[in-house]
This record gives sequence, C-alpha cells and structure tokens, in this order.
Amino acid sequence: MRSRGAWLAVWIGAAILAVAALLTVEIHWRRAGYEPTVIDSPQLWSIQRGRVYGKQPIPLVLLGASRTEYGIDPKVLRDALPKYKPVMLALNATYPLATLRDLAADADFSGVVLCDLESFAFTPIFWDMQQPVIDYYRRRWTPSWHLHRVLLTWWQRLALIANPDFGATATVRRLFDGGAPTRNYVEYHASRGGDIDYTKADPEAVKRHFAATVEGNLARMPKPDPDRWLADLQPVFDWVRAIQARGGQVIFYESPTSGLTRQIDERVFPRNQYWDRFTAASPSPVLSARDVPSLASTPLPDDSHIDYRDKPAYTRALAEALIERGWLKR
Amino acid sequence: MQFDSLSFLVFLAAVLAGYNALRAWPARKNFLLVASCVFYAAWNPPFLLLLLGSATLDWWIAMRIEAAEDARARKAWVTATLLVNLAVLGYFKYWGFVLDTLCALLARVGIVYSPPDLGIVLPIGISFYTFHSLSYCLDVYRRKIQPTRNWRDYALYVAFFPQLVAGPIVRWTQMRQQIETPRSVSDDTFFLGLTLLVIGLFEKIVLADSVFAGSADRVFNTAANVGAADAWVGMLAFSGQIFCDFAGYSTCALGVAAMLGFRLPINFRSPYAAGGFADFWRRWHITLSSWLRDYLYIPLGGNRHGAWLTYRNLMLTMLIGGLWHGAAWTFVAWGGLHGLYLSIERFFRGRIGDAVAANRLLRFAYAGVTLLAVMYAWVWFRAADFGTGWILTRQLVNLPALWSGWHATTTTDRIAVAVFALVVAAQASTRNIDLDEVVARMPALLLGLLLAAMLVLIVLSPGDSHAFIYFQF
Repeated sequence: MRSRGAWLAVWIGAAILAVAALLTVEIHWRRAGYEPTVIDSPQLWSIQRGRVYGKQPIPLVLLGASRTEYGIDPKVLRDALPKYKPVMLALNATYPLATLRDLAADADFSGVVLCDLESFAFTPIFWDMQQPVIDYYRRRWTPSWHLHRVLLTWWQRLALIANPDFGATATVRRLFDGGAPTRNYVEYHASRGGDIDYTKADPEAVKRHFAATVEGNLARMPKPDPDRWLADLQPVFDWVRAIQARGGQVIFYESPTSGLTRQIDERVFPRNQYWDRFTAASPSPVLSARDVPSLASTPLPDDSHIDYRDKPAYTRALAEALIERGWLKR
Repeated sequence: MQFDSLSFLVFLAAVLAGYNALRAWPARKNFLLVASCVFYAAWNPPFLLLLLGSATLDWWIAMRIEAAEDARARKAWVTATLLVNLAVLGYFKYWGFVLDTLCALLARVGIVYSPPDLGIVLPIGISFYTFHSLSYCLDVYRRKIQPTRNWRDYALYVAFFPQLVAGPIVRWTQMRQQIETPRSVSDDTFFLGLTLLVIGLFEKIVLADSVFAGSADRVFNTAANVGAADAWVGMLAFSGQIFCDFAGYSTCALGVAAMLGFRLPINFRSPYAAGGFADFWRRWHITLSSWLRDYLYIPLGGNRHGAWLTYRNLMLTMLIGGLWHGAAWTFVAWGGLHGLYLSIERFFRGRIGDAVAANRLLRFAYAGVTLLAVMYAWVWFRAADFGTGWILTRQLVNLPALWSGWHATTTTDRIAVAVFALVVAAQASTRNIDLDEVVARMPALLLGLLLAAMLVLIVLSPGDSHAFIYFQF
C-alpha cells in the first residue's frame, strides 16, 4: 500500500517524463520538415456519410476517387453554392459506384449527387471498390466512434506524433530496415478534402506512375465490348432513378485529364463508343470537363490531379458550369 | 464504447467527476447505472432495451423461484429463465450458424436452400451478460443466494460498465456486498486502478494492435500463400494478440472498477506460464472457466462417475465453451482440442504426474509442451475456416522449410516474435503473483519509469482502432 504522496510522486513523475519524451519526438520530426496532417480513414468517411440527410441546405454529395477528393474544395463549393451542403464521399484510389448504390438504397436520402467517373470506371469489376467503407459505416459506426474520430481529428491536426508513420513500431522498423517517414504531398482536412502540393513531389514521376498503373490495369482487364458495357450499366441507371423518385438528383461528371492519361483513356475507351453513348442513355445529366473550356484548361501537373493552388478556381468553374446548365441553383 | 477510444477517456472523466460529486450511496448507484446505460447505448441504442429487458426478466424470475414453495414450481421457473436466456442468445448469436450448417448438410444430399438474410446484428456483450444472469438465477434455484428485491442493484450488477461487454464474468456473490454497502475510493485504490488502466491500454494498443495484429492478420488472411516460417509467425503473433487484447481489456476493466471503488475478480494469471492444461484453465479467462466448471462440468457429473464419463464431461464442457466463443465450427474445434488436451493430461496424471511434478526439468518441458499446444489451438480459434486451419497445420509441421523461410520474414514479423518471447518470459517470472501485487510491490521509481514508458508508447501507437476481439463474443 502506497501513501497518497508516494502515488502522486509516481504519477507526476511519470507524466512529466512522458510529456518530455513525446515533445522531444514531436520537435525532432518537425525540425526535419514534417508537419501534422489529418489522416483519412473509414471513420472520417463515416462522419461525412452521416451528413447526407436533410433538405435545407440541400446535401450535395461528391462521389469519385482522388480527382474529386483532391480537386474539389468543399469550402469554396459551399460559398459558390450557398443553397447546398457539400459532403465529400470521394475516396482516393477507389471508384464510387458502390456508394451511389448505397445512397440509392437509402430511403432517407434525397439530395444531389455529383458522381465523378470516367468510362473505364463504369466497368462492373470496379463497382464494389468502396464497399468496405460502406460496410464499416453500416455495421461498425457508432455514436461513440463519432466522438472518438472528432477528437482524433483534433489531435492529428495538432500533433505530428498522431501519425502512425512516426509511431513506435514504425520507428523500430526503420532502425532495422533504414529509410525515413514518407513525405506526403497531400494534406487532408477534417472535411476529407485533400490538398496536393506538387512543389513537394515530382510531377513527372507521378505522371509515369499513373500511366504505368493504368496500363497495368488495362492489360489485366479485357477491353469490354461497347454494347455490353452500356448494357451492364442498367443497374446504375436504376439507382439514379431511385434517387430521382425521392426528389433527389444525380449528375455524372468526367473530370479533366491530360497528356498520357488522356491518351490511354481515349485509346482504350474512345469517346464516341463509350462516353457519348452513356450520355445519350443516362436518365440524369452528364457533363464532361472536356466540353467546358474553363475546366478543360485546368493545369494538371501529373495529367490527372490538380495542385491545391488551382483548387479554388477549378471548384468555382465547376459550380458555374453546373449552374449554367440549370442543374444546380445559385 | 471501447476503453481504447478517446470517447472513453471523455466518458470516464465525466463519470469520475459525477460519481465523486455525489455523496449519497443510492444516488451514486443511480448515477453508475445511468452511466452504464450510456456506455452501452453509445454502441447501439436499441439494444439497451434488450439488455435491460433481459436483466429485468431474470431479476423477476429469480424472485419467483425464491417465492415458489414446491420443487416443481422452482424447477419450472428456472427452466423458464434458461429457455428465455438461451433462446435470446441462440437467436442473435447462433441462428445464422444453424442455418448455414443446415444449408451445407442439405447441399450434401442435393437440396439447394438459400435462407433469406435476416440481417441479425449480434448485441455486444450478450454472451457475458447472459452468463451473469444465468449464474444468478441458478444460484437462487440452488438456494446458494437470496435474490435481491432491489431492481436497481440487480441492473447495476448486470450492466456495470467496466465489465459489461467483455467480462470478467462476475457472480452476484462477488458483487452483492460491493453494491449494497457504500463504497469509498481510497487514494491507493484509485491510483492502483489508474495504473491498471494504463497497463491494460498498453497491452491492447501497443502490444495487441501495434505489435501483433499486423503479422497475425497477414498470415491468417493470406494463409493459402504462406510458408512454414510465416505459419509459425502467425501462430505466435496471434497467441500474443489474443492474450494482450483480452487480458488488456480485463486489466482495464479491473482498473476502471477500482477507480470507482469496486473490486472485480482477476481474469488472467500468467496463462502462458502454465504447467499443464488444467493449470492453463486456472489462469486463462478464469471467470469463464470457473463458470463452466460450476454450471456445466459439475452438473454433468464432473469426475464423480469414473474415468470415461469424466473425459466425456471434459470434452462436452470444452466443446460448449468453444461454441460460446463464436458461432463457427472452428471455435468448436478449438474447444475440442482443449477437451482432448485435458483428457489426455488427466489420463497420464495418475500414471506419471508425480514424476513430472518432482523433476524441475520435466516440469519445464511440460510447460513448454503446454504452451505449444495452446498456441496450436489458437490457430483454429483464429482461422476463418477449416481449410485455413489445415493449411497452416501443414505448414507448421513443415519444419525443414522453417529456417529458410525465416530469412524471408519481415522486420514486423521478427518484432512480433521477439515481443511474444518477452511476454512469455514476463509471465514466467510473475507466474504466481497477481498483477495488482506486482504493481504494489514495485519500487516507486521503477513504477514511475515503467508508467512513463507505457504512456509514451501508447501515444506513439496511433494505428487503426481495432475492436477488442472478445467484443464479438
């Protein structure tokens, strides 16, 4: 049995030592040029997923992959479209049709969906890519985890050591394997938007990486017959109609690409055989950035993504394009 | 709500503030009951009704058992509570398993049947609070205890949040006095509780999630492609993970309860330092194994009716214990292995037990055999299906490939193996001492340094949040 004084000495001493050690680690990595950032996760996605409900302001759900997550600025979009509440459900490296399907099946959702996809991404083998986060939201998301994630986001914005890359096991691994923590060129926000800073990356290397990835994917996947490809999209059209029947709306959007990425896409999925036929068959509005000069001219350092400095202009141009066509209200 | 979440830290701070602000004991109990309901509802609010409904029914039935004059009426009431509790548990936990098994059997005779997906969600902690309630009613039926007439006290016994969702499985006899008599929290108890909470979080966050989970998940999720060394890494890593995960939860539960002035029974006592399988079950999930002993093994006849019936009773108890852990045949296989281990040990105990006990080297060797066999049983516990279990079993015995495969393992795997060795060594060095005694005996300076190190490592282990493994049971 210890006295109160002995316990206090133990705990105060331990707390001082622990804080000193943690501050040392934090300062060490900050001096090496690293900065804290929010880390995207199924929990952060789930917070946004829970925001898709309501009538005023109208939920404007942003679906897509990295081009949407890193290209559209929810804050700028909210300023440009005050009647809408942007909800970022795009998820890096995954195509979004599973989320569209989930929203269509959700009887309480009646908002607007801006769904960013290229022809390639409509292929059925990609439909389930976002299903794991949906499953997480449906089966494991709780009010308790919501509070946890809000506090964790605050902690991640405050402290570099909240990033697992600077954690104890990662550090021990590096002691044996060498190397340094990854220098991310993407900074996330609590709203799940991400900012790419191409001054911290080599755009040519990223460009080559994307081109190689797309070529690899295409090599593994037989090119679909255009008729079959379009016929396979009937369930997608049914999901759109389900949302429309509840007073909601879906807008399909193809974000800008350039250079190698555009060449590969055009080579494998020629516009007249795929995108144009999809546009004609879709029960909902379809927009390609190729048809809007202010969007098509957006600089894309890696042929696919936007530097964060160009995000506000791109987001405003997109909002204008949607308003001009009467699909969204100012 | 999980102990290793930031939301729990906020919740605990609020509970401690509110609890200590109240002076009257009934008010404190009311507060604790409400806090426990909030704790449970933070996971899935509707299931709070199931928890409170189940507790209320058992509280009422226990009074009916007590009030019943003749034996038949008492038996009818206890049968009713058994049926209701097991039916609820069966529906939520085993209905899908029963249907899947039925479909598989029908498919074997050429009948294709696809049952509709009922979308059943398993209420968290249902296996634990069902066992709480059953032990209470059975003890009233056996006239071991008097039922309480105070609903709030009974509900608090079942729903007390530190032990609600993953144990320890507490008996009414262990909690009655603590609930009925006003508690005060001494400085020693509070700080000991806080220390246990940090140790439990260290076990869960640092060891189970950061050190062991990665290697265990990699091996068990890609079992078809793993070699001998990977299989061994996976087995060791999961053995470390399951212990640190569950013992971590139990240690947190003991710590939080102590901070409120309650003492929960210890659930783990250095199980990987066990000298035999019966000894293992006296050290692993102690409150479950004692529950199974008192309410299953002994009523089945225990060891009172000869050797063969004893083996049967051991096997039945462990098979049911396996099924309690999860609705899958792999859990049954795990329980069956332990039933087999216990039966074999019992067979040889009368023949060579004294020789082993008298020889230090043999005792050490037998502890090694025990650890190896326990770790092998974990393979079946973790395997997603029988195919995975068999694949890993074949790789585990492919000893010639072990050394060459070891060179191809990752640093993460080697860290997991090394830390598992440290965990076993730590248990061997404290095999006869409870954790709270270890803390109490430790010099203040060393304790302070250890706590500082654990706090630093907890903060520096911000990986994905993994649910406590035993939450699913």
